Amino acid sequence: MKSKISILVILMFLMLLNLKSYADADFDKAMLKAKKHLKEAMDKMDETKIVKSRGEFERILQLKKDMWLVNYYIALADYGLSMNAGITEKKDNIRKYTESGINLINKSIDENPEFADSFVLLEILNFNRWQYEQEKMQEIISATQSADAFAMKLDPNNPRLILTNGISHFYTPEAFGGGVKIAIPEFEKAIELFKSRKEKKEIYPDWGIDMAMGYMALSLMKRDDDGDMKKAKTLMDEALKMNPDSGFISGYVQSQYKENNK
Amino acid sequence: MKFSLLFVILFAVTVNSFSQTENTEETQITIISGTVKGERDSLLEGVNVVIKGTIDGATTDNKGYYEFETEKSGQQNLLFSFAEYADKTIPIEITPGKNLSQNIKLTKEEVRTEEIIVTASSFTSGQNNAVALTSLEIVRIPGADADLYRAITTFPGSNQVNEGSRITVRGGDPDEVLTIIDQASLYNPFIFDETFNVSSYSTINPWGLKGINFTSGGFSAKYGNVLSAVLDLKSYDMPQGTGMFAWLGLANASLSGVYLSKNRNFGATFSGGKLLLQPYFALNGENSEYAPIPQSNQFGGTLSHKIGSTGNIKFYANYSDDKVGIKNASPSFDGFYNSNSKSVFTNLKLMVAPSSSTLLNASASFSLYDRKNQYGILDTRSKDIYSKGRVDFTKNMTSKIDINTGAEYEYSGYEINGKVPTYSYNLSLSAPSFQIDTLAHTGRIGAYAEAQIKLSNKVFVITGARTDYHTLSGKMSFDPRLSFGYLPNNFHSIRGAVGLYHQYPKLDNYFRASENELNPEDAMHYILGYEFNKEGNIIFRVEGYYKDYNNLVLTDRNDFYYRSSGEGNVKGVDVFFKTKISNKFTGWISYAYSDSKRKQYDSQNLVPSNYDITNNISLVGSYNLTDQIVFGAIYKLSTGKPYTPVIGSEYVTSQDVYKPIFGEVNSSRYPAYSRIDMNAQYIFSLFGKFAVAVLAVNNILNTKNIYEYTYNFNYSERKEIITNNKRTFYVGLGLQL
Repeated sequence: MKSKISILVILMFLMLLNLKSYADADFDKAMLKAKKHLKEAMDKMDETKIVKSRGEFERILQLKKDMWLVNYYIALADYGLSMNAGITEKKDNIRKYTESGINLINKSIDENPEFADSFVLLEILNFNRWQYEQEKMQEIISATQSADAFAMKLDPNNPRLILTNGISHFYTPEAFGGGVKIAIPEFEKAIELFKSRKEKKEIYPDWGIDMAMGYMALSLMKRDDDGDMKKAKTLMDEALKMNPDSGFISGYVQSQYKENNK
Repeated sequence: MKFSLLFVILFAVTVNSFSQTENTEETQITIISGTVKGERDSLLEGVNVVIKGTIDGATTDNKGYYEFETEKSGQQNLLFSFAEYADKTIPIEITPGKNLSQNIKLTKEEVRTEEIIVTASSFTSGQNNAVALTSLEIVRIPGADADLYRAITTFPGSNQVNEGSRITVRGGDPDEVLTIIDQASLYNPFIFDETFNVSSYSTINPWGLKGINFTSGGFSAKYGNVLSAVLDLKSYDMPQGTGMFAWLGLANASLSGVYLSKNRNFGATFSGGKLLLQPYFALNGENSEYAPIPQSNQFGGTLSHKIGSTGNIKFYANYSDDKVGIKNASPSFDGFYNSNSKSVFTNLKLMVAPSSSTLLNASASFSLYDRKNQYGILDTRSKDIYSKGRVDFTKNMTSKIDINTGAEYEYSGYEINGKVPTYSYNLSLSAPSFQIDTLAHTGRIGAYAEAQIKLSNKVFVITGARTDYHTLSGKMSFDPRLSFGYLPNNFHSIRGAVGLYHQYPKLDNYFRASENELNPEDAMHYILGYEFNKEGNIIFRVEGYYKDYNNLVLTDRNDFYYRSSGEGNVKGVDVFFKTKISNKFTGWISYAYSDSKRKQYDSQNLVPSNYDITNNISLVGSYNLTDQIVFGAIYKLSTGKPYTPVIGSEYVTSQDVYKPIFGEVNSSRYPAYSRIDMNAQYIFSLFGKFAVAVLAVNNILNTKNIYEYTYNFNYSERKEIITNNKRTFYVGLGLQL
């Protein structure tokens, strides 16, 4: 009798294991597909495609698995949509998508507070708030500094964190403690870390290397010391080789290069 | 044997897996497609369509069209979701291989009534579009000295008391304005309050506030025991990060900080400050003779803990003290007016959301205000003690109706002891006096219920009532209230309110009442206004009001007891225009006309009330010269405050002093009040940290505004006492640590 029960338990366990592996496979497959679509959409800054890709992640939420990671990507899509709203000057949408993104990434952090990339995203979403609520200056500063500190504690060598700090310094005037002199070493470090990094899972975020190279190129153009323009060109070419669809490189960085080379 | 069985099982499971794959391949695919429309049959792009519980679905294109394949069959639910529109789920029957077309129309999500400010006479900040006052503006308004209350007086309907932070609203007494923070009544958020010719300052840090709602009439039934206006403040439930900010100015220094724990379940804030006037006086000179010079300390903070995903428990505490001695020559005594006070406030607040449509807030607060005053023979110590427990419950009944209800119990105690002059006109050290040692206390139980109803997309109504019972007088009050809003489109709105408001007299009034027989004072508010608001960039508001007062405290000339037989009324118009031009310029003009008359305390006739300011105008502007430099300026002009003139005197032989003979109460006015203040802010980096430097010049034209008149010993000569706010320079530096 005992042996029959044992066998039954083993049978049930194996069946559950079998079902779980199916669910995991479905989830991973769907996540990878949606992740790819989001990357393509954000490379091109195509609002329609970002919305579509956001929808894919929303549908994956129905599987009720690793919702913190799914919410991370929805928040990332919201960040993309807010950036797009900035380009198209749709002021209301900057606020709408930034707040939605902050809300979702906070949900994600509540569920998994050990994921450094969530804090990086929280930091960059909070940076966005400067565009519409400068009156909350102190709150924004403490929110970004705090997110930065959490990310640094969890994963000090996260290239997206170093990249974010570099971008922040790139746009901050020297008088405010920013400037390319501070940003360049950070971009250099980020590129180095991107090249050596392998994410624990394929479904984890891996965006950013083309941005790091692009911003490094922009910083070199701005500094314009001997040989900087040449280095910038090499970096742009390398970035496009790694990600031929990068709209940031082909659309923005290259045009800046042409402008500077006139 | 066992091993064989296990092998069979494993084989079966594996085969089962393959057979599942096999079955999947045999499953027929069904295409589900359709069009999604929104309001006015517009085609909606970006709608998410999904079979519930699966990832099968699609997002609509720019023609509102969606199409996806599924292997599911049988009864399923198709979910449509889209921002600003209500989710819609429809049951579908999928027959394998038979394509399915499903067109649908979504309706806009009903706007939750709680998000709509229907109340007239409100200036708010927060998430609402009708933002008119932000923390940054409070800090940047010249002359406001980063003080919330002073900033509010640049909006129509309110005035400063003696250039300080105490405010009066629409001609009412300062005590008729109630400040609430996180449900708790905050009766004394000031330093140098009620101090002779020293401006009071607020102890509330504007950066710690996530919401400010100032309403000068027609407010909700949830606010009880207040006659004129409510300033409802909400502090942050949880800090957003960790950091510190230090401030060093010519007159003060402060340090504040926020902390958020790693798991983000615990947060804390603190702030501490000290008034250091020596350098300020060294630069600007002493405007009066002081001994000691004004000094003050303040510290406070919050502790917050998150409960579950939506709940929060927060403890708020604040302590402040002040001390000053200021020389004053009155007809009967020439010497220093000394005062010092200590104030403590604590509040514990719990917020929980039992379900997605309900919210429960509960709080317990305590405050103590202990002050000493000494001038000539007058030497008193008094204490105000308040303690309150409150519960508020909100339920979203339907998308069109929210119900708010709540109850509170408030204990108030007032104690005074010391020496007081027998005759108010003789304050000399040898004047007749008597010892006083008395206390009074009372409880007030209040309850309210209100419904916020969305009658249509354009019409909103808030209807409610509250009742209060006062244990000392044994009197009960009942206040029905109604506000409404008509919003024909996104830019225009018409708001109005009508309601009854009660406030029980101050406890010291009961000392002069026969057997505590005083009714609650009451006011009937009638308000109607129009507002044009273009996304906060242009705001124009005009509002008319009338208030009818009854049961005001009045001295009975027969026995000199206080009775509830006073009355009064106030009528007026407030006009407000604010504009924001790109990110460069923000400015506003506010104008208020008011005519306030009262028969109250010693005035047996209907006369202008103590704070009846007929005309009041403020012009405020802030200009961003660069991203780093901001200039601000303000001009204030108002009718002089009423006062009771002395029309003669008589010699009192027994005391060897002159006794003034007063004219009709409030029958004269001080000259018009005016002032121009300017400031500049420079934002920069110091030691790699965010820093801000401020230069402020208050009363730039050095206008001599009158605080009050005093007289020589026999009242034959009138002398002006000029306010202590002459032209002054201030510099300060703030640094994010």
